[in-house]
Amino acid sequence: MADRVGIVEVAMTPGAESKDNFLDQVFRTSKELLDKAGISRDEVGTVVSASSDVFHGGVSCASSYYWDAGAAFLKNASRQDGESLFAFIYAVMRILSGNYSTAMVLGVCKGSENPANDMLTHFFTDPFYQRQIGLNETVAAALQKREYMTKYRITEEQCAAVVVKNLGNALKNPYAHVKKRVSVEDVLASEMVMEPLRKMECAPKSEGMIAMLLAREDVAVKLTDKPVWFKGYGSSMDHFYLGDRDLLNGQLGTAAAKAYEMAGITNPKKEIHVAEICEPYSFQELLWCEDLGFCDRGKGGKLIESGATGPGGKIPVNPSGGVLAHNPYVTRGLYRLAEGFLQVRGQAGERQLGRKVTTALAHGTHGFAGQCHAVVIIGK
Amino acid sequence: MGRPVAILGSGQTVHGRRFDVSYPELVKEAVDAVFETTGISPADIDGVVFGTMPSMMEGVALTHFYFADVLRSVGKPILKTETCGSTGVSLAITGYYWIASGMADLVLVVGSEKMHEGDAQATMTTVLEPFYQRFFISGAPGVFSMQSQGWTVRFGIPEDKIRAAATKLSIDHHHDAFDNPYAHIKKRLTEDEVNNARIITYPVRLWDVCPTSDGACAMLFASEKAAKKLGKKVAWVKGVGYSGDEYWFGDSDKAEWQCAISASRQAYEMAGIKNPRKELDVAEVYNPFTFQELLFYECFGFCGFGEACDLTLKGVFGRDGELPISPSGGVLCTNPIGATGLNRVAEAALQVTGQAGAHQIPGAKTSLAHAMGGVVQFNGVMILGSEK
Repeated sequence: MADRVGIVEVAMTPGAESKDNFLDQVFRTSKELLDKAGISRDEVGTVVSASSDVFHGGVSCASSYYWDAGAAFLKNASRQDGESLFAFIYAVMRILSGNYSTAMVLGVCKGSENPANDMLTHFFTDPFYQRQIGLNETVAAALQKREYMTKYRITEEQCAAVVVKNLGNALKNPYAHVKKRVSVEDVLASEMVMEPLRKMECAPKSEGMIAMLLAREDVAVKLTDKPVWFKGYGSSMDHFYLGDRDLLNGQLGTAAAKAYEMAGITNPKKEIHVAEICEPYSFQELLWCEDLGFCDRGKGGKLIESGATGPGGKIPVNPSGGVLAHNPYVTRGLYRLAEGFLQVRGQAGERQLGRKVTTALAHGTHGFAGQCHAVVIIGK
Repeated sequence: MGRPVAILGSGQTVHGRRFDVSYPELVKEAVDAVFETTGISPADIDGVVFGTMPSMMEGVALTHFYFADVLRSVGKPILKTETCGSTGVSLAITGYYWIASGMADLVLVVGSEKMHEGDAQATMTTVLEPFYQRFFISGAPGVFSMQSQGWTVRFGIPEDKIRAAATKLSIDHHHDAFDNPYAHIKKRLTEDEVNNARIITYPVRLWDVCPTSDGACAMLFASEKAAKKLGKKVAWVKGVGYSGDEYWFGDSDKAEWQCAISASRQAYEMAGIKNPRKELDVAEVYNPFTFQELLFYECFGFCGFGEACDLTLKGVFGRDGELPISPSGGVLCTNPIGATGLNRVAEAALQVTGQAGAHQIPGAKTSLAHAMGGVVQFNGVMILGSEK
């Protein structure tokens, strides 16, 4: 690539339900970003947003509603559906094309204004074969967890340990939605939602408006003395029908391999200093760690037991609290990236890792049992 | 600017009431067609761009999951671009940027809609928020009629003149559609039939309105390297433009429509076009309503404001005119929303590569493709050329 693209600044809302008007929230988040970066709306080259109509409070064609509130008025802008990291990479592409020197990425999801996530993910199903059986993201995750536990002898306690770690980490994150000190026993005592998944192992439904400013290298260094550079991206899609897939060896490995190759990473265990992973269900953090090469296949349970993924560990995972602590469905990927950005900058406040952080990984997934994955690598 | 971007080919389905296939099969038909036409293998693509109408018009949400297999996207990166009615051109623009960024050499771009599995007007009414606007704007014809009325009043166009121009467009396009093997509605109409057709929303009558169609369109965008490897005539992207104005209908001027003006000017500037009427050889304008097509001529600078009706009646924009508009029959005859804008790009590419068959504009070297969306809020424009 000819040019480097840097992340200049980020602004985001906390995950708890807000009484603020939807458009006010979008406007304030966009405005906060531009104010922090010290540029006016006119200086922003392009805007790429992420939103989904089903996660959008009953207004269709989501991007038309917040278009002007989200700084895109009369700009060459666009919108991605489902995964906010798609919006990030599309904004990167727009800069790399040479047409723009700055781009704003906007993620929009007001969870409190739409139905339960499982009711909405139920509409991912095809109307003929899957819908009648009530399939949704939690049902698919339950099947995946059962297979994972059976095949690799992953224990309930190991899965619960993810919840303990992440909700504990969230105590230090002002943007997180659910934060508390819990024990493995608390998690195992929580209600069974979809066997073998318990309530505390499933992510909540949250709000999350987030904006990020990207710039071409020469502009980025003028806007900030602490740019964080885009290093690599990989994404991969799996088959639609669960029966056609290997749920324990999905497409995250493919996505990660592409991102590592682009970023020149050969030993992720050593070269990634912090990973923000999208784990809407406890066990998925363990499984995704395997796919990302942080441990061997089937060893995700041992990895968390070793403490390696804790804030003081060798490969800290989700110091923000992750998706278990904050789940604005569409924008959760971009929140992972924002945390990676703050960690690399050394601006993660109380949750700033004690170790040196020069390279961060952000992961986003959406769809049943991780049908689609996206991985972004950023660094100094 | 970035690397040159080529269009290697396209695949359109036959449009209409496609109860003979399921929705995934419909998408597959377009995808298979583009691979067959170009001789490229699905294994060679670096990524996929897909989009439809953003709302789940056919009852399935986030359809890139449902179509993952037929899009040949398994094991590959995907982008899901959606901007209401302008989705098709936004898809093409995404394909353009992906290649221009250097992050891919070959990208499959697909748009689709199976409108007979849903209720398009009911869905489009929900683009309006539930508190102020939804009650009094019913579906698409409501807003477009208001826009037409505003435009007529602004430029003092006599009612019989605008009716006559709209009637000419309706007759011509429905006739043009006979030459397009993929078109949905093909009909020989008389002036009386058009003028006396039932009113949908005044002044729009039945033959001023597009149909609802089932259909899909697939295209291959490529780097110069991949285009050379193909060794066939390709179309080149010369300019892209996109713009959107305020969400609230009453906040913006829909007659001298700022985002339509701005989208076209962005594309012209990039393509180095100063006088579009002279420099363009053909334009595929997004014309779901005859009256709106006239307004676009003016916003795109094909003529001055208030002149579109007179020039249309003189035949300037007809098949044999100075700047032929929508020789495919356009959106007026075929409208599968998520694919419609991409169909415009596909048609524009066919024209500059001399492959448009019976509706080929002889010697076309530069073409324009356009799509519009939202509650009259978005416009996207792409300029294609036969030379890099």
